[in-house]
Amino acid sequence: MEYTDFSPLHLDAIREVVNIGAGNAATALSDMLAQPVDMGVPRVELVSIYEVSEHFGSPEDFVAAVYTHAEGAFPCNLIFIQDEEAAQGMVDAMFISRMDTDGRDFPQEMRDSALSELGNIILSSFLNAVSRMIGSDSLSISVPGVAHDMLGAILEFVASIFAQSGELALLVNTTLKLEQEGADIKGNIMMVPDPGALEILLSKLGVL
Amino acid sequence: MEKGQHVGMADTVLVKHPGKLISLGLGSCIGLVLYDETAKVAAMAHIMLPESRKDKDTPKPGKFADTAVPILIDMVLKAGARKERLKAKMAGGSQMFNVPGSKSGFLAVGTRNAEETEKNLKSAGIKLVASDTGGNKGRSVEFSTDDWILIVKTLGTGKQGI
Repeated sequence: MEYTDFSPLHLDAIREVVNIGAGNAATALSDMLAQPVDMGVPRVELVSIYEVSEHFGSPEDFVAAVYTHAEGAFPCNLIFIQDEEAAQGMVDAMFISRMDTDGRDFPQEMRDSALSELGNIILSSFLNAVSRMIGSDSLSISVPGVAHDMLGAILEFVASIFAQSGELALLVNTTLKLEQEGADIKGNIMMVPDPGALEILLSKLGVL
Repeated sequence: MEKGQHVGMADTVLVKHPGKLISLGLGSCIGLVLYDETAKVAAMAHIMLPESRKDKDTPKPGKFADTAVPILIDMVLKAGARKERLKAKMAGGSQMFNVPGSKSGFLAVGTRNAEETEKNLKSAGIKLVASDTGGNKGRSVEFSTDDWILIVKTLGTGKQGI
């Protein structure tokens, strides 16, 4: 199935999956940080693979991303991506909720490990909700990998996953937001199905 | 970076001297440049995947290593280059995420991109004079016909010319 074949019904079903997944992720993050977390409206867009790396900003923007790969009934790549500054803000919030310090003077490895754990909680909660929706209890998730790099370099990897099947990317993402004094801290969950996996998801949901 | 011709994903772009080719935020992709210093031409491809599917037409031959190399050769030869004088430089092909034990082989696509590009250059008889591939950092590259040097920029570790 080509991405051009997806109907509005299919896209709505995917949007609903993301909505429920992200809702679960927002609750988990909120529990972890002991503060409210808002969730944005999920976006599902078909974009040319060649435009993916510039779709969310300038290719050289400095971002932090946590990546995991889900295996099983719905193999997919899940990425929690945010501006580097926002990632550091979220790590601060995590240390503050646990230790009464923002941990800015902690070693980089410790802060990265906290970021990795945040990403892991967010993405595994997202995936758990998706698993329940499709009646599967066996979606296992890989160890998270963390990158601090250029936005374009991360999104290129996303584009390459879609490039294996054709010329279009189905960009599925939603924003989580922590309200802070000053600037809010935002992060985006991206769901990138492995080639052929979206068909499995849609058929399990009964819309294909 | 300064003004120049941008080479987006799967693009192939030719410049004649004086010209500059730029590709920003290469992750697993490869920025490959072929040039002839005597004819003063250069062309860059932004390669996304190692191998094309032979059963499918490729609207953008720059997308795959095995289709990008022949099209770049064709472009520079048409612009006056001579095959025996052609040189190649490349950068990119990193693995953005390191995930121990993941069953997804796709994470290493950058390594395979670099290997396939090298293999295709070799079988076309083009000399690869410099390369900076692998690792886990994204790169921006810039190639000028003033000095035929490929400048590779990474976040944090700065710039180097190859």
